Amino acid sequence: MLKVRQVSKVYEGKVSYRALSDINLIVEDNEFVGIMGPSGSGKTTLLNMIATIDEPTTGEILINGKDPHRLKKEKLAQFRRRELGFVFQDFNLLHTLTVEENMVLPLTLDGKKVSEMKEKAKNIAAKLGITEIMNKRTYEISGGQAQRAAVARAMIHTPKLLLADEPTGNLDSKSSKDVMEMLESINEKEKTTMLLVTHDPQAASYCNRVVFIRDGKFYSEIHRGDNRQAFFQKIIDTLSLMGGDSNDFSSVRV
Amino acid sequence: MTFRQFAFNNVIWNKRLYAAYFLTSLFTVMVFFTFSIFASHPQLTGNNMDSYVSFGMNVAAGIIYVFSFFFVLYSMSSFLQSRKKEFGLLMMQGMSMKQIRSMVFLENMFIGLLATIGGIGLGLIFSKGILLIAENVLIIDDELPFYFPTQPILLTFGCFMVLFFLISLFVSYVLRSRKLIDLIKGDKKSKGEPKANLFLTILAVLLLGTGYAVALTVDGLKVVVAMVPVILVVIIGTYLLFTQLSVFIIRRLKKNENVFWYKTNMILLSDLSFRMKDNARSFFLVAIISTVAFSAIGSLYGFQSFLTAGIKQAHQTTISYQDYDTGNEEENVSYIDETLQEANIDMDKDQITLHYYEVSDESRVFITKESDYNRIADLSDNETLQIEDGSPVLVSPEMILLSSSGDNSGTDEVDILKDAVLELDENNTLEPAQLVLSNVLPSITKYYVVSDHDFESLPESAAEENYYAWQEAEDNEIPLQIAEKLDEKLSTEGISIGQYEEYVVNKAYGPILFVGLFIGIVFFVSAGSFLYFRLYSDLDEDKKKFQAITKMGLTDKELKKVLNRQTALLFFAPIAVALVHGAIALTSLSHMFFYSLVKESAMVLGLFLIIQIVYFCIVRFYYIRQVKQALR
Repeated sequence: MLKVRQVSKVYEGKVSYRALSDINLIVEDNEFVGIMGPSGSGKTTLLNMIATIDEPTTGEILINGKDPHRLKKEKLAQFRRRELGFVFQDFNLLHTLTVEENMVLPLTLDGKKVSEMKEKAKNIAAKLGITEIMNKRTYEISGGQAQRAAVARAMIHTPKLLLADEPTGNLDSKSSKDVMEMLESINEKEKTTMLLVTHDPQAASYCNRVVFIRDGKFYSEIHRGDNRQAFFQKIIDTLSLMGGDSNDFSSVRV
Repeated sequence: MTFRQFAFNNVIWNKRLYAAYFLTSLFTVMVFFTFSIFASHPQLTGNNMDSYVSFGMNVAAGIIYVFSFFFVLYSMSSFLQSRKKEFGLLMMQGMSMKQIRSMVFLENMFIGLLATIGGIGLGLIFSKGILLIAENVLIIDDELPFYFPTQPILLTFGCFMVLFFLISLFVSYVLRSRKLIDLIKGDKKSKGEPKANLFLTILAVLLLGTGYAVALTVDGLKVVVAMVPVILVVIIGTYLLFTQLSVFIIRRLKKNENVFWYKTNMILLSDLSFRMKDNARSFFLVAIISTVAFSAIGSLYGFQSFLTAGIKQAHQTTISYQDYDTGNEEENVSYIDETLQEANIDMDKDQITLHYYEVSDESRVFITKESDYNRIADLSDNETLQIEDGSPVLVSPEMILLSSSGDNSGTDEVDILKDAVLELDENNTLEPAQLVLSNVLPSITKYYVVSDHDFESLPESAAEENYYAWQEAEDNEIPLQIAEKLDEKLSTEGISIGQYEEYVVNKAYGPILFVGLFIGIVFFVSAGSFLYFRLYSDLDEDKKKFQAITKMGLTDKELKKVLNRQTALLFFAPIAVALVHGAIALTSLSHMFFYSLVKESAMVLGLFLIIQIVYFCIVRFYYIRQVKQALR
């Protein structure tokens, strides 16, 4: 599905800064991969490059065997809205639109029929349990609901790859759990490949695999077994080994 | 760092933030200063100008000053609105409201001082240009030399320091106590979507409709009577148009999913209805100010063309001479000939005799023969007449006025001809067979042209007068000095030179036109700045919005399309309304004078539209560039 090969990113400036160096990552179809690392480790840079928002300095990124960075600007925008789905930390819903209108926004840009859009919005809203807030405005709903609406918007065109940047960063623990369970079930039922960037070990524990990067370099990766709780523990351990704060050590460490 | 230094550094390190406000102030000062340079020019203030002109100039300067006050106040308060968050932050650091007020006061005085000095400096640079333009528009005999304008500098400096001081005081009022949380969250809080009141929406349509209908139907003096109520109704109607009707229409569009859910419409329209609340007031202001500018310039220009058109029509030949019973007729005519010869001007000359007859009610009409009439018509490139024996022609002077109160309309040609039957004596009765509109011969009443054969049989006339006409061989104008020389000597004896009369009218009318143009342009440019402020106050929000949408996939083309339409709506909605208002006002004005102003209105309105389009293109270019930069 996704191949990241020897990707580096250097930010030019008065002092040039190497944000990523020689990153390799392969994500199979239907996989749910988390990317973790301390602040400034380059994880969002990596995600942005996969999302085609940013370009790698060297190396290449292949999505389904194609390099989207070779596309022309216009085609690239269309590629983003047809093939990829995005979920952001701050939801990025337009507050001047209702939830339903926010959901169909990517489809309207492609000039789809109204009846078709209505149908799709209805289906996805039913699946994600947000049918009752469809006609509300974004400031009338809670953060959890807003993030679910954002996921619905990202999923409405059934993308092959869903990219999530700190989707639980602005949510309380209950809402975080809801959103992550929802993403997990989409991954299972819709067979959507997912890539998640997060700080939150709890959120990361829903992934099949977590990749750690530090200072722009690949650090390690761990796979989830059957037990999510144990996986959570392993994530915490890795984080503390990487040199997080001392309070990252779990008190229930065996 | 002292508190004063803090305020100064605030301005100096935040140039971009303060730039728009600073430039507005600078522009305002410059306008006032250039105007006062012009108004107090030694050539104009001396005995060379009528006192009413200098009075008019002072009134105009007063209007510009009052307008500047509100303009600077407006831009100041919109500038402060965008700094709410900054004030919140400062208050969180422990700054008291009083300190914030004194900080804003200091900043404002600092900007004011810079703007005043800068405006005066720029004004000095441009002043020679303004004086050159003034020289040409005003038709001033001596040129207006550049002078070092000590008095205007002092005047402008004093006036604007007072203005900025007063506005700085006002600012403290604008910033009256607000809750800290409101300041910090100022830009995040949703204002809610405005709703249209159906009753007020209908009222808007009704008010504008009746206002327009009345303005278009009245004529003559009724225009003056109807003016004030119509203006009031249209102003209220315009306000409701932007606050209610526009919201109503946008909401209608949004409800129609086939429209709203089509491509980029959703992005375009969704914000529009939210912003309409803020936009409405600016739109209203801009529309009214532009209407005032259009109407003022249009009517001044129209009035001038009305005056000159009248003169042109009354003078078909370059020079004409019709003796006023001075007894010096031959002498005068030969003086004219000599003068023209001396100046080496190639003129065609002709002379005819007009035969006057007493009519019953003690007035006189003249009759002339076909060949005489045709000779003058030939000379002045007018159509000649073919007259059969026994069917004389009634010639009626063509009016530049639109028909209505004019004496040759409302009734049929047949009736006019019947009325015009002229009984000269028992044997001779003139029964005109044809009515012709023409200005070949100078007359304000109708006259008769008969065939040469018929003319022989007419009775003895009561009086005869000679009419001399000169026409420049190649339809060129004659040198001004010659015209002036002839006019000076013979204007009381019967000479009339159209070109010179036009010059005199233009000269007298010049200052009024110039002042009108100046004020009109000031209004128009400031209306443009209002729109600029309005647009840029939404810049941050737009940046955020498009950042979000581009991540999901918005092509450059689509982004441009949305921004293009958004900016176009902002720039042309109020101007379109102003253009319609202006067109209606000028039509109404032309009804008052019974003189068609279509050409003049079209020119003035078209010119403003072109300026607005250019302005739009420039602003759009920079706006799109700024939004795009935020997406990098």
